[in-house]
Amino acid sequence: MKRVFLIMSAVVLLGSTSLFAQQAPRSMPGASASPAETAPGFPGALARQTPPQQQAPVVVPVPVMPARPNGPVQKSLVRITTTAVEPDYRAPWNAGMIARGVGAGFVIDGNRIMTNAHVVSNARFITVERDGDPNKYPATVQFIAHDCDLALLNVSSPNFFKNMIPLQFGGIPALESTVSAYGFPIGGERMSITTGIVSRIDFNLYAHSSIDSHLAIQISAQINPGNSGGPVMQDGKVVGVAFQGYSGDVAQGVAYMIPTPVIKRFLQDVSDGHYDKYVDLGLTYLKLLNPAQRHFLGLKDDDRGVLIETVVAAGPCNGQVKSGDVLLSIDNHPIASDATVELEGSRVDMPEVVERKFKGDKVKLDMLRDKQPVSVTIALDTIPPYMIQGHAYDVRPRYVVYGGLVFQPLDLEIMEAYQPSDLRLRHFFDYFVLEQIYVDHPEIIVLTNVLPDPINTYLSPYRGTIVDEVNGKKIKTLRDLADALAQPGDRLVLNMIGDGPPLVLDPKQVEAARERIKARYNVQAEQNLEEQSLRAQPKPSEPPTKP
Amino acid sequence: MKLRRLIFTMTMSILSMSIFAAQPNAPTKSIIPGNKPKELSLVRVNVTGQPYDYFKPWQKKAPFSKRGLGAVLQGGRVIVTADLVANQNYVELERAESGDKIGADVKVIDYEANLALLEPTDKKFLEGLSPLELAGDTAVGDRIAAWQLEPTGALVVTEGIVTTVQMMKYPVDLGQFLGYRISIPMQYRENSYTVPLVKNNKLAGLLLRFDPRTQVLDAIPAPIIAHFLKDAAKEHYAGFPSAGFSFFSTRDPQLRTFAGQTGKAAGVYVTAVEPHSPAEKAGLQAGDIVTSVGNNDVDQNGNYVDQFYGKLEFTNLLTSRAFSGDTVPLQIQRQGKPMTLSMTLEHRPAKDYVIPPYNIDQAPNYYILGGLILQELSRQYLKEWGPNWQKEAPQRFVYLDRYQSELYPEGNRRVVIMSQVLPANNTIGYDDLAYLTVKKVNGKEVKSLAEFAEAVKQPLEGGFIKIETEEDPKQIELEAASVADEAQALQENYGISSLQRLQ
Repeated sequence: MKRVFLIMSAVVLLGSTSLFAQQAPRSMPGASASPAETAPGFPGALARQTPPQQQAPVVVPVPVMPARPNGPVQKSLVRITTTAVEPDYRAPWNAGMIARGVGAGFVIDGNRIMTNAHVVSNARFITVERDGDPNKYPATVQFIAHDCDLALLNVSSPNFFKNMIPLQFGGIPALESTVSAYGFPIGGERMSITTGIVSRIDFNLYAHSSIDSHLAIQISAQINPGNSGGPVMQDGKVVGVAFQGYSGDVAQGVAYMIPTPVIKRFLQDVSDGHYDKYVDLGLTYLKLLNPAQRHFLGLKDDDRGVLIETVVAAGPCNGQVKSGDVLLSIDNHPIASDATVELEGSRVDMPEVVERKFKGDKVKLDMLRDKQPVSVTIALDTIPPYMIQGHAYDVRPRYVVYGGLVFQPLDLEIMEAYQPSDLRLRHFFDYFVLEQIYVDHPEIIVLTNVLPDPINTYLSPYRGTIVDEVNGKKIKTLRDLADALAQPGDRLVLNMIGDGPPLVLDPKQVEAARERIKARYNVQAEQNLEEQSLRAQPKPSEPPTKP
Repeated sequence: MKLRRLIFTMTMSILSMSIFAAQPNAPTKSIIPGNKPKELSLVRVNVTGQPYDYFKPWQKKAPFSKRGLGAVLQGGRVIVTADLVANQNYVELERAESGDKIGADVKVIDYEANLALLEPTDKKFLEGLSPLELAGDTAVGDRIAAWQLEPTGALVVTEGIVTTVQMMKYPVDLGQFLGYRISIPMQYRENSYTVPLVKNNKLAGLLLRFDPRTQVLDAIPAPIIAHFLKDAAKEHYAGFPSAGFSFFSTRDPQLRTFAGQTGKAAGVYVTAVEPHSPAEKAGLQAGDIVTSVGNNDVDQNGNYVDQFYGKLEFTNLLTSRAFSGDTVPLQIQRQGKPMTLSMTLEHRPAKDYVIPPYNIDQAPNYYILGGLILQELSRQYLKEWGPNWQKEAPQRFVYLDRYQSELYPEGNRRVVIMSQVLPANNTIGYDDLAYLTVKKVNGKEVKSLAEFAEAVKQPLEGGFIKIETEEDPKQIELEAASVADEAQALQENYGISSLQRLQ
């Protein structure tokens, strides 16, 4: 497993450790997106607040920069400090852990600041600073795109943008050409510049959501925690936004930036006032390289076409494309048998055609079905079931507490918070989309925890099981469960998926124990059924909220 | 130089002596080690084995050697653990005191109980060794000695205390069997594989596993050995029986009320009954509460009171106490109504499972089609991923294995998998595929490798072989004629003796 880190320097507020000392720390395997835990590869990141002697070399004030090829970037660069509250999925009724981080951003047209989504995710209070100005200006998130790790910030103070120079965007820089990264990485307080060359241009996983892959450009410029959201420039224009890299124990000098096609798509998407996310075809396909298979499907030896394996039922192609179809072209771009198309003079992976489109846009597919040509036009859309396999931000965890039993819908946050070893849970999570499990279980309701009380003493063996039915009624969503538990009756019988025994509860006993359990475990609210946005939009004058 | 060496030797002996003196559990006086060779009841067992290679099912792995000890029993037989002789090619007995050797045959082997009975090709070979009787009366707190042999043939005796008697997992983890847990400071000897455990010069058990760090030894107890020997004396070895239902404690008063239990709180809640099992044939149903097994009361945790061991899980009554073919009365409550069921126990052989739990000493089936390697899913295959196979092996297969009775309730089938692809002309474009479950071949559903081979013989129009898989890519096609053309080259390139084995 490669370890991708997000390059936002972060420190946990000293006070928060004692404030939330009772919380079990969430462990984050693989791609770590918690700012509090981005530090491991860079122990120095923690030194930002109180730099120990050996980490603080003699700091020489940086003189005013001489003219550089990219111009006075400090007139565009912004230092962003965020205070975030990370939800605690093991105690979902709690506010969570407070973490602080520092990242970079830059001013673009329209008095907006562009940065990475992960710099301002779960943020409750954001301030921005600019060169040569002692003030900290409160900022708010205008748009945030977790699937491509980009965000736009507003600053209400009109003074902030005075004398700031909005940066312009360039294209895709050539391989081996030199680029410079600007930001506030560890090692000092003021702007840092590093340079390197463009090493590789390829599709890559965006670690922030951990499920989205887009075009990303690998550069050899050193970027470190604190560079996140900063511009990467060439010839005075932004050619990328620095966003992720490998920690030093995995690979050295491998850093990535978000290229301008992704940035421009984001800006275009939000131009109508809301962000609609990336769309997807919801297809898996096999490269058609085998001659026998090609003959069987009635194809010529022309190195064209890919075989459709699975059509995701929740996707836009459902009903129009079938497993076993051969996809020959997309929007009239012929698809080669290795699943590439020619786009603007270069060969790119087929999904790149869809990458550039928006929700509701049409795409034309030419196919061969049972050796007969078929053409369909698909209205592109997002595929919600995929979401459970990615990280969730800016939302409060959803849960139901009943008789000390904690029920939560299965998603990546639950998998990471509880690290369940149960095979069934892992299977339901891993194959949620591929085996179309969501058709029968739009949400997988897991009994994640038991808060011990006399009424549930013998129920701990049920921990980690999935609710199938309550009193004979199928449970498909958390709301179904909440409704079924609220039904009047003498007895609640919860059947869990598998061969286990039913879980039986007496509603009268649960009611009698209710206040006791709430008080003992400090459960402020017994349920949160709706996905609620938690992004704070405080007025600039408001002080930071503290729990 | 000479002087130095002398000093060196002396230091060594002093050192080793002090180590011995420091041993907390010195050998007991009742057993005098080594100096009574006529009473020795042990032979060395040397095994050369060769397990099948499930990743290359057409061949066996490199041979290995194991050395262990066997306990001599009445009738010129030697008992060892099945582990020691698993996948054996050649078994040899060796007299510890003289070094004489002779070949031996495995007469009976039971991998579930982890026991095997050996017989030397000439019974005279064991003359002079005193056969061990079984000690059937071991209880918690008893002192038990582990017998090992020094390279010289001298007996090493280490004593330990039986701390627990309980049902425990055996190596093939099919259900649970009775076991002793013994705290013992045993040392490693070159042939510690099977270690006899002795109480008052009688065989009390055989080593099942030993953790040198915690010095905890689990033993196959005499009652399991006795059961095995009694079964082995019959014309056909039947194996340990099983009932075929799973259960849950009735500690939870809500569950008891739900199950309609009347009277005192007792018994276990039946959560599932395996199809075609003795429990199903006896009429047991999920939701029943089993209150008594073989006239022994079962408490809420599933324990009965054993005459030797005190509280013990009732499954002991159905495995080590009963034999295949025995009829055991079950007292149950069904929605409060007391009923008596009569259950005739049977052994469930490994081959009766959809995904067999073990498959030792038997050549695995396989079929190589143009470079695609087709096999039948088994836990033996999954165990090729090593001791941590449940985490390391393809998770989908581990899931299918774990939940096989849920996923394949109809039973009576195998799961055909495409485990790997050997790159060849016919498999161009398929070489990254692996770990797929096969649904259909040429339009026909396949429930065993034999059915697969049969279906392959009838290609589709145009001479195509179409394989449909559960997972992506869903379909793979080959040309039958081209597969046949390349068959010989494939065999030569990859050193495959035969492209199929179907039994």
